[in-house]
This record gives sequence, C-alpha cells and structure tokens, in this order.
Amino acid sequence: MPHRLSSALWFCAPFIVLIVLWAVFIPYFDVNPRLFPHLSSVVQAGIEGIQDGTLVQHISASLLRVAVGTVLALLVAIPLGVAMGVSPFVSNFLTPLFRFFSVLAGIAWIPIATLWFGYGFGAITFVIFNAVFFIVTYNTLLGVSTIPIHVRNAAASLGAGRWAMLTEVLLPGALPNIVTGIRTGLGFAWRGLIAAEMIATNVGLGYMLFVARDFYRTEVIVLGMIVIGVLWLLLDRLVLAPIERATIERWGMVRRA
Amino acid sequence: MKQFLLKFWGHCVRLTARWPSIGSIAPFIPVIAAWWIVTELQIFPRVFLPGPMEVVRSFGSLVYTGILPAYLQDSIVRLAVGTFWGIALGIPLGILLGLSQRARTALWPLLLFFQAIGDIAWLPILVIWFGYGLTTITVVIVYTVIFPVVLNTVLGVRSTPITLHRAAQSLGASRIRILWEVVLPGALPNIVTGLRNGLSYGWRALIATEIIVGTSGIGFLMFDARRSGSVVEILLGMIILGILWYIVDSWILAPIERATGQRWGLVTR
Amino acid sequence: MKDLTIRNLSKTYFDPYAGTNVTAVHDVSLKVEQGEFVCIVGPSGCGKTTILNMIAGFIPHTGGEILVGGRPVKGPGADRGVVFQSFALFPWRTVLENVAFGPKMRGVRKVEREKIAHEYLALVKLTEAAGRYPAELSGGMQQRVGVVRALANEPDVLLMDEPFASVDAQTRMTLQEELTRIWQEKRPTVIFITHDVAEAVFLGNRVIALSKGRVLEEISVDLPRPRSWDALNDDARFKELSGRVLQLVRSA
Repeated sequence: MPHRLSSALWFCAPFIVLIVLWAVFIPYFDVNPRLFPHLSSVVQAGIEGIQDGTLVQHISASLLRVAVGTVLALLVAIPLGVAMGVSPFVSNFLTPLFRFFSVLAGIAWIPIATLWFGYGFGAITFVIFNAVFFIVTYNTLLGVSTIPIHVRNAAASLGAGRWAMLTEVLLPGALPNIVTGIRTGLGFAWRGLIAAEMIATNVGLGYMLFVARDFYRTEVIVLGMIVIGVLWLLLDRLVLAPIERATIERWGMVRRA
Repeated sequence: MKQFLLKFWGHCVRLTARWPSIGSIAPFIPVIAAWWIVTELQIFPRVFLPGPMEVVRSFGSLVYTGILPAYLQDSIVRLAVGTFWGIALGIPLGILLGLSQRARTALWPLLLFFQAIGDIAWLPILVIWFGYGLTTITVVIVYTVIFPVVLNTVLGVRSTPITLHRAAQSLGASRIRILWEVVLPGALPNIVTGLRNGLSYGWRALIATEIIVGTSGIGFLMFDARRSGSVVEILLGMIILGILWYIVDSWILAPIERATGQRWGLVTR
Repeated sequence: MKDLTIRNLSKTYFDPYAGTNVTAVHDVSLKVEQGEFVCIVGPSGCGKTTILNMIAGFIPHTGGEILVGGRPVKGPGADRGVVFQSFALFPWRTVLENVAFGPKMRGVRKVEREKIAHEYLALVKLTEAAGRYPAELSGGMQQRVGVVRALANEPDVLLMDEPFASVDAQTRMTLQEELTRIWQEKRPTVIFITHDVAEAVFLGNRVIALSKGRVLEEISVDLPRPRSWDALNDDARFKELSGRVLQLVRSA
C-alpha cells in the first residue's frame, strides 16, 4: 500500500502547486474577476451551488442524458455489430459506411437533432446516442471480423452451438474493441453533450457555463470546467480504463484501430 | 445460371482489386437509394427529411452564389492553422515529457486533467477573453489537437527500444543527433496516430465552435440553416463534412501512417 | 474412438481472381482404422490442409464422401477434435477453462469438467499453469494446451494441422515424443498433417504422400514403439523410410 499512497501523492502534487499559484498570483496581479476568478470565489460558487441545489441539478441532468443515450446506443450497437461482423463479406461491405458515419457522429448532428426533436432532452440524448452508436457498432464489427477464423473453427469443433459461439467466442473476442469503442464514443459524446447543452436546453453543465458567460460570471465558468474535467476523469480512469486493462492486457490481445 | 453469377462476381472482385475506391463507394449506393425511396414515399414529412436531389440542387446553388466555397475555405484554414500550432507545440512537449522522468511526474497529471476538461467547455471563457473570432476558434482547435499528439509522442518516445539508443551512441552520435536520428523517427508512427486522433477531435471541435460562436464556416452554415428551418442545407453540411474528413483521412493521414509505421514495421499502440 | 473413411473426396472452387474453377483435391480415398496414427505429408499447396478442413467440416467438400464411424460429415462437430498450427486457444479463457471448454459444451458440470481438465493438464505436465492465460505461456506450452484441449473432449478422430510447425526445433522434438507417448496411452485415431518428412515417419503408423491434390503412395511405418529421437536418429530403418518418403515428395 505505501507505494500506491506515494504514487497518489505524486499524482496530486502538481495540482496542489497549481492551486497555490492560482491563490497567490491572481490577487497579487489584481486580475479583473471578469477575466479570471479568484480561487475563493470559485470555492464559494461551488458551496452555493451545492447548498441551493442548482449545481447538483445541472450535474444530474447531464449525467442522466449521458447514461440514457449511452445505454440505448449500446443495446442496439453491440448486437448489430456482432450480427454484421460474423460474415466477412457483409463486414467488408459495410465497413466504409460505418467509418463515414463514425466521422460524423456526435456534434455534427446537433443542428438536425434540434430540428427533429426540438430543444431539450430528446435532441441531446439523440446526439449522445449517435456519438456512441456509430463508433461502437463500427468497433464491434471490426472486433468480430478480426477474430481469427481458427479460433471460431476451434470452438465449432469442440461442439459449440450458435449461442455458445456468440457468448463464448464472438462477444469476448470483440470485447477489447467494444471497450475501446465505448471509450472513444463516450469521449465524443461527452463533448457533444456540453456543446448541445450550450445550444439546446435550459439545464445541464453546458447550459450552466454558457449562461454564466452572459453575465461574465467567470467563477461559475471555471467551477463548471473543473466539474466537467473531474467527472470525465473519474469516468475514464475508474470505469473505462480498468475494464480495458482487465481485457486487453490480461488476454494479451493487441489493441486495434 | 450459377456459373454466370460466379463469373459476374469474379468481375466485381477483380474490378475492386484494381480500384479499391470502388469498394468503399459501393456501400453508399443502397443507402442513397433507400434515402431516395423513403423521401419519395413521403414516410416522413419532406420538411423534416428532404431527398437526395434537393440536396444536390442546394449544393449547386450554394456553390453558384459563392457561399459554400467561402465557408469551406474558412473552415479548412481554421483547421489547418489550429493543427499546425497543435503539432508545433505538441511534438516538442511530447519529446520533453518522453525523455524526462521529472517533467513527466510534474506535468502528466495536469495533462490528463486538462484533456478531461475538453475543448468545448473552454468556449465560454475563451469568448470572454478573445471575443468571437478566429483567435477563439484557433485556440479551441490547438487545445484539442495538442493532447493526443503529446500523449502519443510520449508513448512513441518511450517505446523506442533502448538498444537503438545504445547502437546510435556506440556509432558515435551526439545527444542532439540521437534526438534527430533515433528518438524522432522512432516516435513518428505514434505521432501520426496521435495526429489522426487529434484531428478527429479537432474536426468536431471546429464544428461545435462554429455552431456556437461562429460567423462563417460549415458549422455556421448548418446552424444558420437550422435557424431558418432549412433541413436541406443541414444535410448538405453533414455530407460535406463527412466527405472532407474522408479525403483528409484516407488521402493524407492514412498514407503517412502506412509510409512510416507499417513500412518500418513498428506500429506500437 | 472410431474409424474414418474417405471415398473419392474432391474439392473444386471458383477463383474470382482467375475467373475459373480450380480443383484443389482430386479423388482422394483413404481408410483410417480405429486407433491408427496416419500422417499426410506433402509440400505447401498440395491440398493437405484442404483435406483436413473438409474432414473437420470447416469447408464443404464438392465430391465424394467422408464417414466417421459410418456417419457422413456435415459441418464441424465434437466427434472430430482439431489441433491448429496457430494453436487457436481462446485468449480470454485461462488454460484450465480452455481445456474444459469441450466438456462445458457437452453440459458437464463445473466441478466435473475441471476435474477432467486437470487430469489432461497433468498428462502434459501443465498442472502449474492451469490458472494462467494463454498469452502468458510459451509457444510449446500453448500447443500442449491445444493438444489436450482437443483430447479432453474425447473425440472419435483427432485432426492435427501442422501443430508443431510454429515452435522452435528443440521444443518440437519434445512435443513429438510427448505426442507418441500420449497416443500410446489413449490410443486415439489421429490424422496428422505436416510438410516435415522426418516428423511424419517418426509419428505415424502410416505415411501418405500427397502432391497437387492427389495421393502418390502410402507407406507403412513398422518402427517399434515407444519411439524417441535418441534411438531413431541413427536407426537405419528410420533413415530408409524417411529417404523414400522424401524422394516421393520431391520427385512430384
């Protein structure tokens, strides 16, 4: 444990230095709070936000959208990707199509999503859905089609039926790619969420930032940025990265694409 | 009949083997056909989903009036300028972090955190600092491109085999020469991969920025069309974005990646 | 264990690049008795892997018939175990789970099938590695797992497709000796594909020389068992048989 403790300390040290610099230099140079806030006012904005519940409200609205959009996308994308990846002909045929759409996924859909669904929950969830959907489908397709044919043959000759083939070979074989896909897709979705919330809603972290800009409330903007950064870091480091490590590294499978 | 079909299939296979681009265009034909049929059957109201012909027509008129070429140029210039600075700052920083353990200890956590904040969250405060304009957009793109470039350069520098350093040293190379002859080429495949990732984020950041604070560009075109309720122009914008990315990715980035990493057989990810 | 009969087997497929039909296997007939060890030897491209893939049911045959214990082959099945050149272990399963895969597909309970897997792992002295993942093993160890994974499913016929071609020379000799030992202990019916003439003669009861999709000749190997490289390296009969097979394969 002492090793982990010290590495955690080393991880935190640069942040402590940065915060100290912030606390010292901003008042020292007398920076206009309309350009950059004091540390104390950001802390205060945070406490106020928690006390009156607005910060919690914005965070939970954003997280709910991400959760709903992502879960829906995964429920559709993974079965679809597996189904398409099984046949090499079909997967070869569809690969360019899904590459094209994964390039467009997310932010580029904001204008049309707001037109189709109106401003609000529907449009934003749709943007997240399609940021995750196309990339995960593409990666699942890629993952299934790159499982060596020998491994599939081995399972078949050991008596695996269709269902066993799916659960024992196709899904675990594609899992590293699926996880990488989810990680990339969520990265795009998270940015898409912030962008969409700036335009198309009246609650959420992106909205919080954008409204604060109208009133030059830089302390709220910086608070929002820190919250966004911390949330993503927690999601990425505590949920996604460990899964990736447990599959790709343990299984010795090289990460592709 | 069966023999005839096999012969036909053989022709198709040989054709796509000769011109691989046919293989990547073919899958779009049924999609466009399906789109055309759906709009012709009026399954969705035409205002919500216009057909392919209307998009082509709107493409023609936007090109004719000069709006589309001008906007396209704006977007590409912004992306190019942002990418240039992203690379110019990212590679030296990445090499520094890759070579120095101390620099890594001090900066790595900050790097992860600032990457996590994400480009778009910076928009409001950047608008306060720099106003609406090229500076804001460029900063956002540099911010997006730089992280993948730095992270991948570090990975590349650190995964260069120690034997290569030793070989160069024993052949009499100075420290600067080693940097130029060993470290940089060794990291190049990863740098290109980083650039490719960075551009795919930078691309989205450009669109988002143009939508939110832009006064010109493809993103602005789409959002302006959304305000006036013109779905045709939104779809046109999306298609142009897709095609443009495809061109950049498969004509510029992928060949560079192939020419370095795959050619040298040292793709490390 | 059952016998295997192949009658007038052939394989013709359409090559889209040439635009013509290509015949990879011509009219091959073969009878493998129960508990026999048959090696098929030939240069690359002679159709030996195609024959094995058809017996395994991975690809359809276009003429003739394949019978295992009198029943025709339709697709892959647990009655024919396969050992692959590329090992084809499941990277996401531990060594123990890999070996227990076949019994699991048959619906054998967890405790039971792990007992079976442990028994077979002991056969190749890999008890220690049971909890490790394939990527953590050397090539030779991986192929030992590959062999016992196929055996643990108790197939009627064991099909081996150049299983020792991707391990180093020393390990290969050890694996060959181990395989003859296991074969004597379990007496499975084996079809072993290889391009290595010495390997074929060392392992088989019978060696079948193949060229351009046709059977050239069958040679019985009457060397005594147990066989070991130490004993056979200077054995006159071994040299004579290897020489004959080599001449056959090279002259074709």
